[in-house]
Amino acid sequence: MDNLLVLAFSAFILENIILSQFLGICPFIGVSTKRSSALGMGVAVTFVMLISSSVTWLLYKYVLEAFSITYMRTIVFILVIASLVQMVEIFLKKVSPTLYKALGIYLPLITTNCGVLGVAILNISKEYNFIQMIVYTTFIGLGFLFVIYIFSMLREKLDFSPVPKAFKGAPIALVIAAILAIIFSRFGGII
Amino acid sequence: MNKGLVSGLVLLSLGLLCGILLSVVNHFTAPKIKEVEDAIKYEALSGFYTLADYDISEVEGTGDFGTIFILNAKGTEDIQAIVYTVRAQGYSDSQKVEMLIAVNSDLSVENYQVVSHSETTGFGADIVDNDFNVLKIDDLSGFDAVAGVTKTSNAIKACFTLVSERIAADLGGGLSE
Amino acid sequence: MNKKDNFVKGLIKENPLFVSLLGMCPSLAVTTSLENAIGMTLGVFFVLVLSNLIISLIMNNKKLAELVKPVRIPVYIVVIATLVTIVEMVMHAYLPSLYFSLGVFIPLIVVNCIILGRAEAFASENKPVDSLIDGAGMALGYGAAIMLISIFREFLGKGTLTIWGDLQINLAFIFNFLKIEPIAMFVQPVGAFLTFGLILAAITAISNNYQNKLAKEVKNNG
Repeated sequence: MDNLLVLAFSAFILENIILSQFLGICPFIGVSTKRSSALGMGVAVTFVMLISSSVTWLLYKYVLEAFSITYMRTIVFILVIASLVQMVEIFLKKVSPTLYKALGIYLPLITTNCGVLGVAILNISKEYNFIQMIVYTTFIGLGFLFVIYIFSMLREKLDFSPVPKAFKGAPIALVIAAILAIIFSRFGGII
Repeated sequence: MNKGLVSGLVLLSLGLLCGILLSVVNHFTAPKIKEVEDAIKYEALSGFYTLADYDISEVEGTGDFGTIFILNAKGTEDIQAIVYTVRAQGYSDSQKVEMLIAVNSDLSVENYQVVSHSETTGFGADIVDNDFNVLKIDDLSGFDAVAGVTKTSNAIKACFTLVSERIAADLGGGLSE
Repeated sequence: MNKKDNFVKGLIKENPLFVSLLGMCPSLAVTTSLENAIGMTLGVFFVLVLSNLIISLIMNNKKLAELVKPVRIPVYIVVIATLVTIVEMVMHAYLPSLYFSLGVFIPLIVVNCIILGRAEAFASENKPVDSLIDGAGMALGYGAAIMLISIFREFLGKGTLTIWGDLQINLAFIFNFLKIEPIAMFVQPVGAFLTFGLILAAITAISNNYQNKLAKEVKNNG
């Protein structure tokens, strides 16, 4: 239990997917200009990450490893993620139109979000068992949500600030991300 | 023909083609990758033996023993050598002296190495590279202790003794159960 | 567009990283040393050039193109993923230290937007030779960009520049001369964001300046 807590905490803060592993930077810079869209993106990513990591983990353990064709990992994973995203989209459209309305536009973007494939591969290479995998993936996803939400609040304020011309847009966003990264890395002392 | 079916077939055949291509590449790279992985896993051992000549298996030891590596001649069941990770109490209370001891099947000691210790710096540090004059594992009479570092030397001697007590049984196949 | 322009556009005018902001994740993660950046460039170069070539070969054949059209994107992804896996296996076998320091970012070349982007935007509509040149230009443009970032980060963070293995330029004397220590922060995540942000700002400033100049010239002449 203790180990799982440590795992959850480090996935959430220390190994934060954006600020220390640099995965999913594109949506981080691209979709974080408004609070609502950041929230939608964060929830959608967490959701897809959890489903796709579970599926790819099971596939890897019971199909790829069983037939010793682990070298097909990358191809299988990316195809699984792409088709899962499609299915989730269709499913949401049918079952919960309101949720679809909120998350729908972010789903197609997720296929090429390196965070989802990245976490699926990390779960394999870190040799987690199923429970550890679920905990790790959930908190990595929540970490993404947390950081992208904080970041969007900062960027909303930024609209009213006199930013030097050359820094407008991505450059200032990256500098702010650097400051956030300093803050997050300082939590290392807790463990 | 149905459009969806055609698309499916296209993807499937492409997938198969790529799979075959990858398995060909894998065929060439896999042995090399295994070598690389082994080299990392058995980094400590690679100083003792040429790893490519052996099949290596691992047994997790109990008590004062850590991982025990068994080196078989390539493709056979003949035990050529056993490398023990073994610990004993030294000067420092907090951390035991840990060492690797490699013994050949004829009981000659191939090599040994102190892996970790937290003995007093200046004294303890000397022990890492010291030659303790142990040539046969069943004959520790020539053991050269390092003067002034009695406790650490004793710990190292204890490590050798622990190994000597079980080596005969292990070589006779005692580890394979 | 002639062949030279096609090659050069990827380096500066349409630089995938600094101008289009594509492929940011690896550019932040693997730029802790120049060696890693060079390794990443090799991987991206191999994948991008070959994927552009293969995809344009497929799409230039009328019959094949007809078959592939409805499942275009999955086909691209499978081709790219195969190439990436080949890179991964070869690197694991022959360049193990590089393989371990690049880690998860080798398989992640698959989702690097540059490669899929070029396949969709260029290779599917152009001749194989042109696609090959486009791929080479884009890959080198990307490589030059991440090498630039890594030079800043490794120099400021460690005071060295590692080119390959033991081939290393030690620039610590500059820090000694100035009586300061290398700033370790630059090889940590913080440094990645900061360096990239500042370089991006500098590039924006330079190009703004250049455009202003052009505008003025037009005004004066007109």
